Amino acid sequence: MFSIRNPLRPRRVVHAHCDVPCGVYDPEQARIEAESCLRIIEKYHASEDPLFRARCIHVKEERAELAKQHLDVLWHDYFKPEHLDRFPNLHETFWNAAKQASKVKHTVDRAEAQRLLELIDEVDRFWIESGGPEKTRVAGRPGARAQAAATA
Amino acid sequence: MRTERGRRPRFLLFGGGALLVAAVRWLLGHVTAVEVRGGSMAPGLLPGDWLFAERLSYVFRAPHVGEVVVAADPRERERDLVKRVTAVEAGLVTVHGDHPEASTDSREFGPIPTSLVRGRVWLRYWPPSRMGIVGRRRPASSPGGEG
Repeated sequence: MFSIRNPLRPRRVVHAHCDVPCGVYDPEQARIEAESCLRIIEKYHASEDPLFRARCIHVKEERAELAKQHLDVLWHDYFKPEHLDRFPNLHETFWNAAKQASKVKHTVDRAEAQRLLELIDEVDRFWIESGGPEKTRVAGRPGARAQAAATA
Repeated sequence: MRTERGRRPRFLLFGGGALLVAAVRWLLGHVTAVEVRGGSMAPGLLPGDWLFAERLSYVFRAPHVGEVVVAADPRERERDLVKRVTAVEAGLVTVHGDHPEASTDSREFGPIPTSLVRGRVWLRYWPPSRMGIVGRRRPASSPGGEG
């Protein structure tokens, strides 16, 4: 395989970028990981098997870390300074949610995992009110989420 | 004898030619072709568009609000960005993407020093169907709008 370089083709690239240029964001991603944590904690308590319980703790820590990472991406990349005017407690909510995700890493207390879900849902409300579903998701995704956003 | 007389005009010809070549090279040295990656300048500039940027204007003056510029990414200086200037103050320019939802710009990294601005984008030469001058315009809305 060989090709002739187009002489008109520029040698330099300029980035009209977004850190990840996909522009797709959805708190659902964090919520799914947080739901996993909740269920894993329930399964942990329901089991007597030490090996299974060890696996539960291991996997829960992974999932909680992922939830935290997804929250961070939303916080840094999706939300912009102008959103602060509209959602003055945006930073605090994210801070609390990220801290809560850390807490879920440490604990097997179901209530803490539940609290994480609630904080993610607060983030989700900001996302919906800022037009996230229309602006960041690829149009035409079937399913309940679009309906939920429409009735919110 | 004839060669003696011919020497002077030929010398002028070569001298003038060399000057002309130097001038053209100097001018070309201030023009760069660049390729757009990413969609933050949509719909004006799309990924894959080829542009000419010139550095000459900013030798004489500061960037103006509304111009599309090539500037070094303040966080990673060997990487170049293309954005629109939305505000100018002493030694600093604020840059935004035309498509705020898909743009990382001054909202995130703040205003950038004018010294990082490498050139002004003035022509989109490829694809032929979209060939045209990249003009100055006011940012579409308040910087960033809703997104």
